[in-house]
Amino acid sequence: MNRDPYATVLNSALTEINKAYPDIKNSFIFMNNDSIITGDQDTDEKTMNNMLESFQTMKKKSNVLGNLKSLRINGKNGKLTVSNINDMYLVLATSKNMDKTHIYSITHVIIPTILKTLETFTPTNFQIISPKNLIVDTLSGFFAGDSVQIDLEILKDWTKNTDPPTHVKAEIAGEQNIQEIIDYVRIEKFDGNSTLCKVKEINDQKLKGKNMIRIPEKICNTLEIKKGDIVKVKPIS
Amino acid sequence: MLVKKFETNDTLYDVEKMQKKLQEIKDQEGIIGYILRGSKSASIDIKDPIKIIDYAVLSSTVFDVGNDITEAFQLGELDTIVVESEETKLVSMDINNHRISLFMEKNVDHDKLYKNLK
Repeated sequence: MNRDPYATVLNSALTEINKAYPDIKNSFIFMNNDSIITGDQDTDEKTMNNMLESFQTMKKKSNVLGNLKSLRINGKNGKLTVSNINDMYLVLATSKNMDKTHIYSITHVIIPTILKTLETFTPTNFQIISPKNLIVDTLSGFFAGDSVQIDLEILKDWTKNTDPPTHVKAEIAGEQNIQEIIDYVRIEKFDGNSTLCKVKEINDQKLKGKNMIRIPEKICNTLEIKKGDIVKVKPIS
Repeated sequence: MLVKKFETNDTLYDVEKMQKKLQEIKDQEGIIGYILRGSKSASIDIKDPIKIIDYAVLSSTVFDVGNDITEAFQLGELDTIVVESEETKLVSMDINNHRISLFMEKNVDHDKLYKNLK
C-alpha cells in the first residue's frame, strides 16, 4: 500500500468514514493509472487488484458512453459504488440498506473537500507517488549487474510527481538528470515480499513502452519471481 | 432506427412481453436504445446503428464484470448495474434470466424504468 502523506491522510479519512457509516463494508481508492492509493484493513490487496482489473476492462469498453464517471452495482445483499473524484476512483462496498444520500455525501462532499483542503495546504510538493504494476523480464548474463531497468517514461512520470520543479529542470537538461532523482525502486510482490534495487532506464529499444521491468536473475531468484509475473514498483527518491 | 432480432425456441411469450415493454420505453424521451438477451435469443434496438457493436460489447462486458464484482464482494445475486458517463448511462439488469441493457441520457429516471420492467 502507498505510504506517502497523501495516502496516509486519505487512509485516515476512510477509517473515520467507515466508523461513521457502519454500513460500509469495504472502501478503497485507486488512481486513473491503475495504482491503489489506500484501502481499509478489511479489504485484501488481491480483492482490490481484481476489482481494479475488472474496472479497467469495463472502462475500456465504455468509451461509447463517454468519460466514465461512476459504476453502481446492486446485488440482493449489498451494493458497490465506484465514483470518479478528480483523477482517482473511490470504491465503496456497502450493505443493501446504505442510504443513497450518504453515499452521495461521501463521494461528492467529504472526499472532494478533503482533497481540496490537501491541495490548498500543499499546492506543489504534496503529490501522489503512484506505484506501478509492471511485467517482469529477466536480465541474465555477465553484464546483468545489480540494477533493474524501467522505461524512461515511467521514471519521468515519477519524477514529475516527486518534485515538479526538479522535473522541469531535468526536462531542460536532458534525461540523465532523471536518473539522479529516482535512484532506487522498491519491487513488491502481491504476497508482500519486497526488495530495494537501483534503477536505470531500459536500454533495449524493443522493450520500451511495454510496461516492463527488467530484473537481474539473482534478484528474481531472491524474490521468487519469473518472467511474465506482475510486480508492484514504487520509486524511492 | 435499426432492429436486429435473433430467436430460436426461447420462451417466446416472455421474450415478446419483455420486448413490448422495451419498445414502449424506447419511445420515451432520452432513451438511446436497448439490448435484450434471453437464453437463446437476442434483440437489439439502438438509435445509432454504427455504434451497435460497441454497445453490444459493453453490455456483455458489464454483465461479466458485474458478476465478478458481486462474487468478490459477496453482494449476492446481481440485481442492477449502472454505468454512468458525463452525459449518458447504461442500466443493465437481469430479469427472469433475461439480460437487459438500457442505454439512455443521464437525466432519465432509471429506477422508474426498472420498476416498469420488473
